[in-house]
Amino acid sequence: MEITYTEAVILYCLKQLKGERTIFSLYHLYQGKKSSQTIQDAHLYHLTPFFQAFPFISREELARQIERMEKKSLLDKKSNEHFILTSTGDLKLGEYFQANTLPPKYLDGWRHHHLTALFWERLSILVQVCSNLVYQKKSFIPIQNKLETLDWVKAFIKKRQEGRMGLSSTLFLELLNCFQRDKTIDPSILVLRLTGQDRIGLTSGQAAELLGMDHTRYQLEFLNILHFLIGTVSDEAVEFPLLNALIPEAEKPVPFTLSTEKTFQLLNRGYTVEQISRIRNLKRSTIEDHIVEIALHIKNFDLAAYVPKDKEKRILEAAKETSAKKLKLIREYAEDASYFEIRLVLARNGDQKWK
Amino acid sequence: MKAKGEKRAVALNSFLSPDQKKQVLRSLHEYKFIFISPEMLGVHSVLERLSEMNISLLAVDEAHCISQWGFDFRPDYLKLGHFRSLLGNPLTLALTATATEEVRADIVKCLGLEKIHEFIYSVDRPEISISVEEAGYQEKQKRVLELAASLQGPGIIYFSSKKMAEQIAAMLRGKGERAMAYHGGLEQENRILIQQQFINGQLNIVCATSAFGMGINKENIRYVIHYHMPLQLESYLQEIGRAGRDGSESIAILLYSAGDEQLSFQLAEGELPDQFQIERLFSSAEEKSISMSEIKQHEELFTGYCGFTETQWRFSADFIESRSKEAFSIIQKKMGNYVTERLQMKKTKIFEMLQYIQHQGCKRSFILNYFGEPSSSRPQKCCSNCQLNNEQYFYKKEPVPAAGPTYYDWKKELASILRQVSETDEKEQIQ
Repeated sequence: MEITYTEAVILYCLKQLKGERTIFSLYHLYQGKKSSQTIQDAHLYHLTPFFQAFPFISREELARQIERMEKKSLLDKKSNEHFILTSTGDLKLGEYFQANTLPPKYLDGWRHHHLTALFWERLSILVQVCSNLVYQKKSFIPIQNKLETLDWVKAFIKKRQEGRMGLSSTLFLELLNCFQRDKTIDPSILVLRLTGQDRIGLTSGQAAELLGMDHTRYQLEFLNILHFLIGTVSDEAVEFPLLNALIPEAEKPVPFTLSTEKTFQLLNRGYTVEQISRIRNLKRSTIEDHIVEIALHIKNFDLAAYVPKDKEKRILEAAKETSAKKLKLIREYAEDASYFEIRLVLARNGDQKWK
Repeated sequence: MKAKGEKRAVALNSFLSPDQKKQVLRSLHEYKFIFISPEMLGVHSVLERLSEMNISLLAVDEAHCISQWGFDFRPDYLKLGHFRSLLGNPLTLALTATATEEVRADIVKCLGLEKIHEFIYSVDRPEISISVEEAGYQEKQKRVLELAASLQGPGIIYFSSKKMAEQIAAMLRGKGERAMAYHGGLEQENRILIQQQFINGQLNIVCATSAFGMGINKENIRYVIHYHMPLQLESYLQEIGRAGRDGSESIAILLYSAGDEQLSFQLAEGELPDQFQIERLFSSAEEKSISMSEIKQHEELFTGYCGFTETQWRFSADFIESRSKEAFSIIQKKMGNYVTERLQMKKTKIFEMLQYIQHQGCKRSFILNYFGEPSSSRPQKCCSNCQLNNEQYFYKKEPVPAAGPTYYDWKKELASILRQVSETDEKEQIQ
């Protein structure tokens, strides 16, 4: 029996986690929880594409799904919340990969999660407004109801100079050109969801049904297209000026959690970990968590102040040796390293292949 | 109002941030219409500011919420009487779509109104035929599918449970109907889409919970079916009133299986904490010495400890917080009494609904009498007890076109949305 798409996704992710993290860390990953732990894990286990891939999933839903897979002998319970793949699970996943790719090519939750929902809200409302403008319909009910989004679209239209026909045709051509950059993309997945003057867009469930696609798969494919659009139009802003203008301050890096942001500012002003801990009245370990998060985001953040170069090298070697990301195991090899130092080095080097 | 061009309107509610609130309060005199939620009437600074102003008309919408006898009683509405006297008893307009005589008397009393004019419009809608059908528990599902297949839509089917609404909608789709479920558990975007698809005619049937319908103005709804009985006649009337707004003939059908009221009782009980939960709530708060004013900060603790549903927790927390200055034991006693009274009230409502279902005479007259109106005109297609027979309302429906393989041309679709010429169109024109 073939496995479902949902099962394939969960098998894939749990395989990456190697039983070293609980299924709730998976839940946090799918939700896109902005905690240092979740962000570090996403990098460490190469699961960044799935960051915030299923923002609406519930804890219970995921637990039930995993329980079902355990009953089907795809998963083995190591402890209460730790699961690993059974040999059947591993085999089925292997078979699945012969015919399918996972994750979808452009899915990159970590890079785009903070823009994804916003981009879709803006694109869908802009298409609806343009459609009603060119067909000269005066009143309609907006498909997005957030005040910010509606204010944005009003201001946006006002700023544009090309008139209603011009705006629509620019939008049409840019979308067309962008979609045609990659033939593996099926634009129907997105176009079905759009609302025009005389038709209301489909819900994701309806679009999946119409395309005969598993709903989980549809959700990821939809994100895949959005990430493809966001990536393409921000990389080639000159080619896609209109679509690029939907992205707020395109170059803005992923924002830190608020608390990390404060720590970051203090670090930049030259304060030490101890000082920041005292100023902010936070535990030292919390500040260290922030520093790990910063190291994940800012590729040229200098670690030397926190880990001596030679220790960094030894930690990396230890990590390769154990091929596990269990801090405890690594520490057996690099005895003089603290957990903080290990995590920091792994955070920086998480994207490298270990073996 | 703003959309219609009246810019001097402002809303004062709990959604405003403290800064926004301050700003609105400062410039309050510049507005002509102030919309204020009853909850805000408890805020001292708001009351003070408003009492300085000259208010020429106080309008109370959904005024039935003020009455303990109303199905939708909201304790905050009781503050309105005091509020009105603070404003110097201005001219007052109380509006409601569903109020019995008892409730109307309560509104007058609570608002402290003296010289009053009542404008009462009949709740009767002669264009809507009313039917109650009894069906065994097993047959009900079959019956609702049969009705959906033979009645001319568009139609709404109401359910008490989200799950049931989803299930029946999926079955209807399986039979080729354009049906979707609508309930409070959907994401915001999907709610808007489904509602708009229905209004736009892309959907023929919505399987809904009571979350659906408010603010929807669709004129040509031909039928409203109730799969479960509503908790009171007032909501029933509101829900069936969504049919036939264009004045054309429509039908309301309520399906009843013996024992359905048990589900209603359960639902009513689930909205309020029971005595056991109240006991646990107060004893654990005492044990952990959590003060009554801090109750809201311990949602997880109490929800887990007392097994609250979301609604139960919200009620309990609000009830306690608004009385946090009183003694522990007094609040507990008040809460216990309040819950007992409300539950009794809700049970009475359910029994009235049941009476309606079992009433052997004219259903329309029953409803009208309930709202204190004399019996009706008895339209030709009145109700299931006035010789309304199935053929009279079973319009032959146009057969559902078989869903053939549809090739979806996204380019053409996108071009049509944005009124552009796609390549496919160009080719066709050349040929």
